[in-house]
This record gives sequence, structure tokens and C-alpha cells, in this order.
Amino acid sequence: MKTRIVLFTIAVFSLLPLSVLALYAVAPGWRFPDVIPAEFDLRAVHYLLSQAGPVSRHMFSSLGYSLLTVALTFIICIAPAHHFARYDFKGKPLLEGLFLAPALVPSMTFSMGIHWLFIKTELVDTFPGVVLVLTIFSYPYMLRALTAGYQAFGKEYELCARNLGATPVQRFLHVELPLLMPSVIAGGSVVFLVAFSEYFLVFLIGGGAVDSFTGYLFPYLVSSDRSTGALMTLVFLTVPILLFIFIEIGISRTYRRRGIY
Amino acid sequence: MSSGNRPSRTFLKLSPLLVPFVALFMGGLFMAVAQSLGFFLPIPYEGGIFDAYRELFRPHILASAGHSLWVAAVSSTLAVSIGSIMAYQIWQLPERSGRMAIIYKIPLTLPHIAVAFIILVFLSQSGVFASIAHQLGLVKTVRDFPPLLHGTGGAGMILAYVFKEVPFVIILALAVLRRMDPRLVETARMLGAKPTAVFLRVVIPHMLPALHTAFIILFLYGFGAFDIPFLLGESSPAMLSIETYNLYFRRDLVNRPTAMAILVCMFLFSAVFIVLYTRIAARISGKDRKL
Repeated sequence: MKTRIVLFTIAVFSLLPLSVLALYAVAPGWRFPDVIPAEFDLRAVHYLLSQAGPVSRHMFSSLGYSLLTVALTFIICIAPAHHFARYDFKGKPLLEGLFLAPALVPSMTFSMGIHWLFIKTELVDTFPGVVLVLTIFSYPYMLRALTAGYQAFGKEYELCARNLGATPVQRFLHVELPLLMPSVIAGGSVVFLVAFSEYFLVFLIGGGAVDSFTGYLFPYLVSSDRSTGALMTLVFLTVPILLFIFIEIGISRTYRRRGIY
Repeated sequence: MSSGNRPSRTFLKLSPLLVPFVALFMGGLFMAVAQSLGFFLPIPYEGGIFDAYRELFRPHILASAGHSLWVAAVSSTLAVSIGSIMAYQIWQLPERSGRMAIIYKIPLTLPHIAVAFIILVFLSQSGVFASIAHQLGLVKTVRDFPPLLHGTGGAGMILAYVFKEVPFVIILALAVLRRMDPRLVETARMLGAKPTAVFLRVVIPHMLPALHTAFIILFLYGFGAFDIPFLLGESSPAMLSIETYNLYFRRDLVNRPTAMAILVCMFLFSAVFIVLYTRIAARISGKDRKL
């Protein structure tokens, strides 16, 4: 009984809003005081189909800068994460705290200054500029995940591979990376979500010149036609949800089969 | 591997992060401070060096700061409370239903602007809740439904944050609970502790470090974020982020130092908040341990 109540509460809060959006999508004329729409029509769906070009263009652009952000955060965090997990050095707690700051303090406080720096270096309104600003905003999640990942297995693996004569590159690719994969996926998922759903930073640095799905979505969300906004939101959701299903099923199953986790 | 301990090697290994951190994060902050003092502005600056900071004492900016603090404090407190209770409930579920409970993560995948849109759809005066209230005979016209999204202490923004943030708290709290020995809870029960007592005196102390982390993150996010207030915020008092945005983009360039001064103060407040909060939390838990 209690189990049912808990599951029901969770279902109401996570699925009901989406069901309402789905209803709105097929009932543009739904308005007060009807609890169930009086009539259904596919106007919004037809509109979406007619916009297939722009929708996919913005979607691919968002997907592109988000995946690049994941890759870049991984590249800049991997060596520092190893060092934080394996060694003690002077000022380590302070540095660890400082490196978390970009995810904690309001992003506006440093991004407006970055906007000025990027105007001077002509990175504003460019794709690399957007990736850079998203990276500086979201890398702490990757850093935390990788540091925790390194801490989860001892340095014996590295030592053993080293004693067997593996080069640093071999050690990284064949020993550390497979063991780290769950952390890379965990950190990468968060970074991806943060980058993919960010509106303000992309709008500030991309300035409309860099396509983004959040930027494309925004005018629909504030327009009086809720039907299109609802449908576009559902379209938006498909990407992260598909990605997580893919990760959940594909990668974790591979790992389980190999008996690593 | 003692050679890994040399300062030069530390510096080398941290440099992939150190360089972008200094160039972009510190650089960005430095620019905000400089512009707030009147340097590097696109137009010649004529005021005194701290003039922009004097502007901050105007009533509407102080009201904005108060409003931001209020929305941040209420939303993060609610999210952490609800999230910790839900995490405990999910943890107690039998394994199969526990796996079904994973749908709690759905709001996490929604971008903030979409969450704001959902709140609009549900809570506006002609929204879903208003329609339900009409069917129940509670309201007759659109105007009878309370205007939750306008001028009522940021209720819309608070609800949007709570909806989006509860799953985040659940994730953090569940991760800790999964490492907790279930026998602790069983023992407390066998010794006659009531369910609330078990939750408050056994489960909560276990989750506390994770809850502190969640509170700091969510409080500062609510305090300084832009997306949700941009869709749901009122114009006066506006949230600090919106006030800054208006000063920076929508008004004269003369206002830029003031916008930057707000940002500098927001940053200082956040830094002080993190330090004070972690100190106080550490001291309180230190006392607990002595008992």
C-alpha cells in the first residue's frame, strides 16, 4: 500500500506535467475552464513538420556544442583529477575548493566579464566561444566525478601495469580509462545536461549567431500559443532521454557482461 | 611514486585546468570588478571610483536583493526537505518498485526554461489548476483564481525551482542512503523509535553532509540564476539577475558600472556564504560527535 502511494506520488510529479504538455500539443484550442480539451487538432504537429529544417539545425548545433563541452571538460580535468586523487600537496584543499567555484557562484558574475573578454578576442558570437564558456561553467562536475573515480580504485593497478612495462599512454588507455568509465559517464551526463539545457550563457556568448535549441525554444514558450511551445518542449526532451536510455542499456550492459561492474 | 609530489610536477599536471580557470573564470571576475570601478568601459567614465557601489543602496536594488534571497532561501529549503523525505521513501521501496521509481529523474532532464513554461501552464490564472478549481466549483471566472505568478512573493519561481530541484536532492541523498547499513534503521525501530524519530534522528544525520552540499548549490543557484526569473519573474522587485541584465543590455551604457557592481556583490556574497555555511555546518556536526 505504502509502496503504491510513493510510486504514485513520483509518477504524478514526473509524468503528469509531460502528459499535460502532450495534450496541449494536440489541442491548440484548449483553454479555461476545460479540464479535458474540448477538441483536438494537429495544427501544432503540422507546424512542427513544416519546421523540420530549423528544428533539426538548432538541435544539431546544441548537440554539437554540448558534446564538445563534454569532451573538452574531460580533456582539461583528467590530469588534475589524477593528481588530486593520488597526491597530497601544499594548498590542496584550497585549490579543490576554488576549482568548484564556477559551478557554485552565480554564472552571471563571471560570464559578463567573459563576454567583454570574448568581444576583444572576437570569440563572441562563435561556436568555440560558446563551447569555452560552457566548459568553464560545467567542468566542476567532470572534475568531481573523475577525482572520485580515481579514488575508487587504488594506485596498485597503475603500479602493476608500470612494473609490467606499460608506457604511460598504454596505462591510461588500457588500465585507467576502462576503470574510470563509469565516472566518465556520470560526469559526462551531468555536463551534457547542463550544457544542453543552458539558455543564458549560450544566448550571451552565442548572441543568436550560434544556433541553440533553448534559444529556438524560448520565443515559443513565451508566445500565447501554448500548443507549439508544449510540442517543442517534448521534442527537446527526446535528446537527453534517448541519450540516457542508450547509456543505461548499452554501456552499463557491456560492462556487466565483462564482469567489471 | 614520490616524484609525483614535486611542486613543478603538481603545477604541470594541474595546468590544463589552471590555465582556463585563471584566464576565463578569474579573468571574467576581474573584468567585472574593473568595470564596476570605471575601467575598460566602452564610453569615457566620469564618476568617482566607488560611485557604482553607492548606487546599490537605492531602494529598488535593495528590494531586488531581498527578493532574490527570499526566493533562494524558500526554494532551496523546500527542495532539500521534500527531497530528503522522498529519498528515504524510495530507499525503503522493495527492489522491483525501487527500479520503477527511477522516473523521478525526469524533471532533471527538462531545461529551466521548460520548467518555467510548465509552471505557467499549470498555475496561470487560466491554467490547468484554475480549470480544475472551476470544475470543483471553487472559482467562476479566470479572475477568481489567485494570481500566483504575479506579485505574491515569487511563488511561481519558487515552485519552478522546487519541481526541478527535488530530483537533484533525491539523487544526492539516495547515494548516501545506499551506503547506510539498513540494520541501523531496524535497530532503532526494534528499540521502539517511532517512524518520525527514525527519520529525524537516524536517517537525517546520515544524509546531512549531502544535504548541506545540496543546500549550498541550490541556494546559490536560486539566488543568482537567470533563466527561470526571465520567464516567471515580476518586474518589481525584480530578481537581481534580471535587474543586472536590464542595466547591462536594456539601458544606457552609463549604467554598466552599476550592473557590474551588483555582480561583484553577488559574487562576494556567494563566497562568504559558502565559507560561513561550511564552517557553521562543520562546527555543529563536530559538537554532535562529542556527544
